[in-house]
Amino acid sequence: MRLTSLGLVRGLIGYAVGLLLGMAVVVVSRLLMGMSVWEAEAAWVGGVFFAVIGFLGGVGALSDWLKWTRGAETPLLHGPPADKPAWTRYFGVDYNHKVIGIQYGVTGLFLLLIGGSLALVFRAELADSGISFLQPGTYNTFLSMHAWVALAAILLGVGGMANYLVPLMIGAADMAFPRLNAFAYWINVPAILTLLLSMLFGWDSGWTAYPPLSLRGPVGYQLVFLSIFSIGLSSILGSLNIIVTMLMMRPKGMSLFRMPIFCWAILATSLIQLTATQLIGQAFLMLSFERTLGMPFFNPLYNAAGENIGGQPLLFQHLFWFYSHPAVYVFVLPGLGIISELLPVFSRKPLFGYRWVALSSLAIALVGFLVWGHHMFTSGYGEYLRVVFMISTLLVAVPTGVKFFSWLGTLWGGRLTFPTPMLFTLGAISVFLIGGLSGPILATTATDLFLHDTYFVVGHFHATIFGGFVFPFFAAIYYWYPKITGRMYDETMGKLHFWLMTPGFWLMSLAQMTAGTMGMRRRIADYDPALGVENVHLLVTIAGFVIAFSILIMIYNLFTSAEIGATAGNNPWRSRSPEWQIPSPAPEHSYARPIAVVGEPYDYGLAGSKYIASMGAGDD
Amino acid sequence: MLKLPQSSTDRKHFVIVGALVLVVTVLLGFALLAILPVKAQSSVQAEPIRWLFQLHIWLIAFLFALVSVFMFYALFVFRRRKHDTSEGEHFEGNTVLEILWTVVPLVLVVIFSFIGLQTLQQTTSGGDDIRVEAVGFQWAWTFNYPNGVTSAEMVLPVNKPALISLTSTDVIHSFWVAEWGPKQDLVPGMRTQLHVTPTEVGEYKLNCAELCGLTHWNMVATVRVVPEAEYTAWMEQKIAEQNIEVVSR
Ligand code: HEM
Ligand SMILES: [Cu+2]
Ligand SMILES: [Cu+2]
Repeated sequence: MRLTSLGLVRGLIGYAVGLLLGMAVVVVSRLLMGMSVWEAEAAWVGGVFFAVIGFLGGVGALSDWLKWTRGAETPLLHGPPADKPAWTRYFGVDYNHKVIGIQYGVTGLFLLLIGGSLALVFRAELADSGISFLQPGTYNTFLSMHAWVALAAILLGVGGMANYLVPLMIGAADMAFPRLNAFAYWINVPAILTLLLSMLFGWDSGWTAYPPLSLRGPVGYQLVFLSIFSIGLSSILGSLNIIVTMLMMRPKGMSLFRMPIFCWAILATSLIQLTATQLIGQAFLMLSFERTLGMPFFNPLYNAAGENIGGQPLLFQHLFWFYSHPAVYVFVLPGLGIISELLPVFSRKPLFGYRWVALSSLAIALVGFLVWGHHMFTSGYGEYLRVVFMISTLLVAVPTGVKFFSWLGTLWGGRLTFPTPMLFTLGAISVFLIGGLSGPILATTATDLFLHDTYFVVGHFHATIFGGFVFPFFAAIYYWYPKITGRMYDETMGKLHFWLMTPGFWLMSLAQMTAGTMGMRRRIADYDPALGVENVHLLVTIAGFVIAFSILIMIYNLFTSAEIGATAGNNPWRSRSPEWQIPSPAPEHSYARPIAVVGEPYDYGLAGSKYIASMGAGDD
Repeated sequence: MLKLPQSSTDRKHFVIVGALVLVVTVLLGFALLAILPVKAQSSVQAEPIRWLFQLHIWLIAFLFALVSVFMFYALFVFRRRKHDTSEGEHFEGNTVLEILWTVVPLVLVVIFSFIGLQTLQQTTSGGDDIRVEAVGFQWAWTFNYPNGVTSAEMVLPVNKPALISLTSTDVIHSFWVAEWGPKQDLVPGMRTQLHVTPTEVGEYKLNCAELCGLTHWNMVATVRVVPEAEYTAWMEQKIAEQNIEVVSR
């Protein structure tokens, strides 16, 4: 097998070629315009732009579309490549949604490890006061990288769950637009490369990239902007695909209110992604234009009288948060869907208040669009806005509460068992509870004026993101592992992972919040020992390392169990969901025959009830 | 040993859980207040913040207790026993309950909006007996008094309402003296302001609370709150040092 038969390798070559080509284009145009030939920032912007396209061309994500322009035939190939080992399909363009789901999920996990490692480095620095080994510039770069790498990891993890599960859960053969699906995955890869490349130059504004700071720093910013722009494009295309799939390809009898509840969560998530992502794309594009071409969008310019005739720094914050607040629901709604999906299985009971849970996802998504200004209480915008955004933010608590209470209703009176996926589901609830309950105290403006930009906020959002994404994501990995590999993970290691990570996380959150109320600002490379937070910081660091260690146990578990795990059987959890009625590992064509829905999804404990039936060859 | 009822809707369960929720709320409330010591306590504007923070803590303690006690109770009582292969009780929901736990939080939202509005007004208002301009730049501060005095440390008389006018010459910074409570960003091209009436004599640290580049963590200035007489003396000395012709105040 030749190395270049791997799509990924061809993509990397395309990336390198594109980079050089783009730089050459910039250099030549500057030459023609009579400017100094080499300007690093312009060269890199041009280079990276072409590099992303070069990668997509090299990997083959554009091939079929190019053939269409020539009117050539492009049959959809199924199954692993005939002339290469089966694993190679994961390293190239493949149109099967299960392959793409795994590609998303594994890339997400990989990024989670990178993002986590970056955090461990600066947590070690913060374990005591005084600057020991990370210089402030590097500290700022690591901190900023940690955030975007972790956010990219989450977006990919969400994409993984949605791509793998939604078509399976609704009994569809694949996604509505398989080529678009592959493209939406593969554009992430050059974007991630570009993001990692930005570390060479550094950038120091945190993930929020507020101008004017982000207009001044090193070239790294430009790479970040282009990277996030591309990942955003992936979000938009991916969510469009999911929505169409979900609305058009459900089987006979599956009304929206008979979908597995996870699909509702993904529907709400996709609606946000489809409509809010443009705003961060635009915001970062404007930053990029302002840096490269001097267009004054955000940086103030003064005339002789000292009046501002230039840009408005606050404009950026509005654009940024109009995406980035709804985005936090993109991170957590799928995870909350996983919780609602798994609880009935391990309680052997119907999901309590299915319709309320389903609609609360939509309600959270909608209200989530109206609250962005709670990130700007101290920004200097009008006094009136401080009130409006306080009230709208408090409202989010209502649909969030509905979810918690419905989960309790689901547990109540069940026959509960506690294998690893259930443990992580319960851990998710406990951690999300900490995160959610620390929200309203940030929503009332007066308390936020004190807590904003302190470690209290750091504690709040790590708890929401771990409770709403990381724990449920791990639950999902353990739960669907048998469906993906056909084998069982190791239960002892799974439990060990859980019992290290959960208390570790509780401790970390609380300690972060304590540091915040004691006056510890966020995003600082060093702190004043007079604050008295050194012990608290040491706790956070230790807890962080424990969490990291426990995640390595999971990785080890996943790798080894794929070889030596016990054979899982089709439906080890006795679930009613469609994907568990087919063989494990899920075959190339998931459903041999179309399915029909003949009952409610979660009627556990109702004798004789059925959710789906397989349709015979004749009837439809 | 207490014999627990079989049916999940038996009143006995709810009596036990209710009692546990109360106990846990009280314990948790005090525990949280102990591990979350609010540093803001040396200004008039810090008072409403502290008060509202503590109110929130009690609500948080209650809600945390409510959810976690119900959850852990259920995990314990409704766990599957050995050799039990039965399914859970079949109920799909309860509309009255759903409406209840939508409406009650809504009422809480209305109450907290109202309280939030009042505390916001209190924490962002005050007089302007003393006026100071604070200018932030990468990575230090200067303070300008209306009479022309310029200083690298900020001095304020205790118990006198001060209005601090804020601006930045380069990137966004944020003015924060933790002991005083609220913070406020400094935005280039804009003028923002912060009211503070310091109530305790002492030396404080003014920190920048918005990431502003390389040595953001070290963008610190000293703030001294002194008795009125000392303030006047300091001001006179500054005027003399800087050879300023006194214009006003
Ligand atoms: C229960 C409802 C919630 C409320 C009322 C709430 C409220 C808030 C408020 C007011 C802030 C601004 C704090 C500040 O910077 O001063 C904030 C920050 C944040 N919240 Fe939440 N939140 C809630 C749930 C969530 C959820 C579900 C997530 C999901 C991941 C989340 C993620 C974040 C993030 C990432 C930030 C910090 C952004 C930054 O400044 O970098 N929150 N939250
Ligand atoms: Cu938000
Ligand atoms: Cu700063």
